[in-house]
Amino acid sequence: MATADPVAEYLSQLQRALIGVDAAVAHDALVDAEAHLRAAIKAGKSPAAAIEAFGPAADFARAYAGAPAPDHHAATEVAGSTHPAASVASGPDASSGALAALSRIPLVGVWFHPRAWSSLFYFLAPCFLISLATFVWVVCVGSLALGTLPILIGLPLAVFLLGSVRVIALAEGKVVEFLLGVRMPHRVQPVQVLTPIGGVAEVGFWQRIGCWLTDVRSWLSLAWALGNFFVATGLFCIFVVLGALVLVMVAVPLAQAAGMTDIRVDGEWRDVQFLWERVTPDADGHVRISAVTSVLSIVLGMALATATLWLALGAGWVYAQVVKAIQVTRPQAVARRFTVIS
Amino acid sequence: MPSDLQDKILKDLSNGTAWLVVLAIVAGSDEPAHGYEIGRRLADEAPEGLSFKQGTLYPMLRTMEAEGLVRSTLVPSTEGPARKCFTITAEGRRVLVVWVDAWKRTGRWMNRIIGGIDGNR
Repeated sequence: MATADPVAEYLSQLQRALIGVDAAVAHDALVDAEAHLRAAIKAGKSPAAAIEAFGPAADFARAYAGAPAPDHHAATEVAGSTHPAASVASGPDASSGALAALSRIPLVGVWFHPRAWSSLFYFLAPCFLISLATFVWVVCVGSLALGTLPILIGLPLAVFLLGSVRVIALAEGKVVEFLLGVRMPHRVQPVQVLTPIGGVAEVGFWQRIGCWLTDVRSWLSLAWALGNFFVATGLFCIFVVLGALVLVMVAVPLAQAAGMTDIRVDGEWRDVQFLWERVTPDADGHVRISAVTSVLSIVLGMALATATLWLALGAGWVYAQVVKAIQVTRPQAVARRFTVIS
Repeated sequence: MPSDLQDKILKDLSNGTAWLVVLAIVAGSDEPAHGYEIGRRLADEAPEGLSFKQGTLYPMLRTMEAEGLVRSTLVPSTEGPARKCFTITAEGRRVLVVWVDAWKRTGRWMNRIIGGIDGNR
């Protein structure tokens, strides 16, 4: 019969005390507590003494939940490290300085919010590219796996696909963490388990495969890999169209005023419609937009650009929450977990 | 004095001083300091009567990191997963100087007022 692990019991208590707390915060709290208690035991303390010195789980949970997340200061991760705790959201943010003050201006402050720009960039490039590549990968390998399932070759292929999707999701999470600013602590996987006679054994290859198959995040990641393609494509289209509209509404009147463009129509065209103004080309086919329309076009274009940035900021937050819900679940009850890797 | 009030005062004193002590321990460490080591020193070197639960340390470090006073780094370990360790930042050193100065002035003020009181009488 397996011996009860006091640290695992304490962590289970802590997990219960963290119900209702943000998943990333709960994850950090559990990882910090476990790392501390294991270090104390390793240093020669008894588990009971280490837990006593650490303090009640409820007090720790309350204090931890009240502490602000270090989400705007980058933790330096060493190469090859797999520690889940020090993974924090870094990258652009408007947390301090003049930029922060400007970003708090109502409505137009979004122009000075680095997260709005990084979100816009994310939806215009990485999001679309990652989702496209992942979709193609899943469809190709998934089809191959399904097609060869009758001759059993498909089985290892399907497991390989599941593993690869987990890796892709992890990489996507890091990009989301950097550009959208929502912490994505590493996944928690058991690397050691209690044996039936109370000893400790390393998790073997087949047990690891079993973990993948039983981890709901594997299947959610697979579903997300397929569904995200449509979400990402939709967002990409929306932001490309909005960007193009803003460019036309702002740049064309400015360029024409500066004499940089010569809008000319050829052929049978009699009139040109620019926003609400119908412009008749002159004898050479040149089109001149009126000054009033130009000014109004620039004003409207800037307003649309502001709305686009707000949309990017909001969509970025929602998107990151979805990715977080898929990737960052609370660490499982740790009764059988000794240490963690990503 | 009712024991509840006595406990509350000692607890407030512990909490109030812990911030300065934790930052000073991180600042005084030659190498990035691991949470357990900071907590051990915090608890082991605490004066009699003041008790620090080591768990209080982590929310403190988290807040300090959010405020840019310390920075967490991962130090590889040959005996297990990489350890999250803390180093003080330039802003942390600036704040530490302010806190130490405030503490010294508070100490002088306290000593002037309570210096003549003998706790044994």
